[in-house]
Amino acid sequence: MRYLTFALTKGRLANKTLELLEQVGISCEEMKDKDTRKLIFVNEELKLKFFLAKGPDVPTYVEYGAADIGVVGKDTIMEEGRKNYEVLDLGFGKCRMCVCGPASAKELLNSHEMMRVATKYPIIAKDYFHNEKHRSVDIIKLNGSIELAPIVGLSDVIVDIVETGSTLKENGLEVLEEVCPLSARMIVNRVSMNMEAERINNLIKAVREIL
Amino acid sequence: MNKLLHTPEGFRDVYGTEFLKKNIVKNTLTDKIKEFGYMNIETPTVEYFDVFSSNIGTIPSNELYKFFDKEGNTLVLRPDFTPSIARVAATYFADYKEPLRFMYSGNTFTNSSDLQGRLKEVTEVGCELINDGSVDADYEIISMVCNLFKALKIKDIQISIGNAEFFKGLCEESKMDKDTELSLREMISDKNYFSAEAILDGTSIDAKLKNSILAVPDLFGKEDCLIEAEKIAVNERSKNAVKRLKDIYELAKKDGIEKYISFDFGILSKYNYYTGIVFRGYTYGSGDAIFKGGRYDNLLSEFGKNAPAVGFVATVDQLVEVMNRREEGFALCDI
Repeated sequence: MRYLTFALTKGRLANKTLELLEQVGISCEEMKDKDTRKLIFVNEELKLKFFLAKGPDVPTYVEYGAADIGVVGKDTIMEEGRKNYEVLDLGFGKCRMCVCGPASAKELLNSHEMMRVATKYPIIAKDYFHNEKHRSVDIIKLNGSIELAPIVGLSDVIVDIVETGSTLKENGLEVLEEVCPLSARMIVNRVSMNMEAERINNLIKAVREIL
Repeated sequence: MNKLLHTPEGFRDVYGTEFLKKNIVKNTLTDKIKEFGYMNIETPTVEYFDVFSSNIGTIPSNELYKFFDKEGNTLVLRPDFTPSIARVAATYFADYKEPLRFMYSGNTFTNSSDLQGRLKEVTEVGCELINDGSVDADYEIISMVCNLFKALKIKDIQISIGNAEFFKGLCEESKMDKDTELSLREMISDKNYFSAEAILDGTSIDAKLKNSILAVPDLFGKEDCLIEAEKIAVNERSKNAVKRLKDIYELAKKDGIEKYISFDFGILSKYNYYTGIVFRGYTYGSGDAIFKGGRYDNLLSEFGKNAPAVGFVATVDQLVEVMNRREEGFALCDI
């Protein structure tokens, strides 16, 4: 039997995924050791391999077949635009992609005046403003602490992930519009889905049962 | 940036052993296809934009390389051979009623995004069987894919066949609007069950039909999925679609190649012109399908000839990669 390889998003998402997989009888003891320096973890019995990767890289590993199955947030899937099967909504890691800014930006947002948008997700932002709001915008790509941008006057609004909204509130910002809901998804490589149809299909069905 | 010494992104030089390997793959494929009685054909690299426009249904317009001729006509670098072959068949063989068999090899161009590690110019080999709408024609093409894998000594293969008519039949029965059908189509071809469910929940389609449509992403696997499909087929159109696949499977059994064949009703190609069977040929070592093809009975009428047709294309660059990655490499081929 060939190994089935899982690419998991480093951090909380990976832990949640392992908890879920344990419920359907898939575990990986090697991964529980917090001090390990290993990059690839193996379950010899079930012929499974696991590795951890940065979120945006997970869809890439899966697209090229370096991993057969991946678990990653919907935001990353939308931003990366890779050709994979998106087979399950795992239900955890729930949050929202939102347009945020000071309350005063609301008026500008609904006008057709030029507006600057700072975001870590330029593709999602562009798609939202062009195809849903039908308006032109200037998009500025940032790599972290996006909330800073409207405060220091770099942009009028931001497009970012909102979980509780407390960071926004502390900085005098608020959610102005919701772009879409987000959660963790299971993705599968197109070739693997056909070459290993039975094993992968059984896994999907087992997980779907407990969700 | 010094633009003198390197090629633009997505384009590359091929030389030395790689060139030889590419040639082996290309020649193995074309020699085998010739044995089936296919005639070589060469079409221009540049065509009018209209040949690949949205009503023909190839790739999105923004992924085409477009430019203008001196009279201001929009020209494109071909992204795909099939519409060109259809144009040839419709113009030079307009009144010809016998089956036409064409094969081609050459490069195609797609203006996809940068930094995704995808080539923008790839070498393709393929063939088209025109003027034959029979199940035997479908099977000829599918068995040829099987033979080509064999000729390259690739063992672990899977040919997944679906039928575009099945999903179209279900949509027709539900009387949904075009936009809903298009978004559903995208979700189902991504096997995205839950988003498909969300789309259907927003419509007034009755529960039984809804369940039938939602079953499509799960309808893949060996022979038993045909039985499942038969159960949820609601009208003549979808029933005939399943029957066609059954007939193909029977023919495959006679030749003893049924173990390579599986079914997937969720294959809804991004090429909108497919009207019957749609299939993909897979093997390990490549993240994407190597062979892609299907039946396109309405495409030729866009060029003024009413004729059924079926065909496939193989990406040579991907085959080279697959063979490089396997243990025995190219050792089984004569260089």
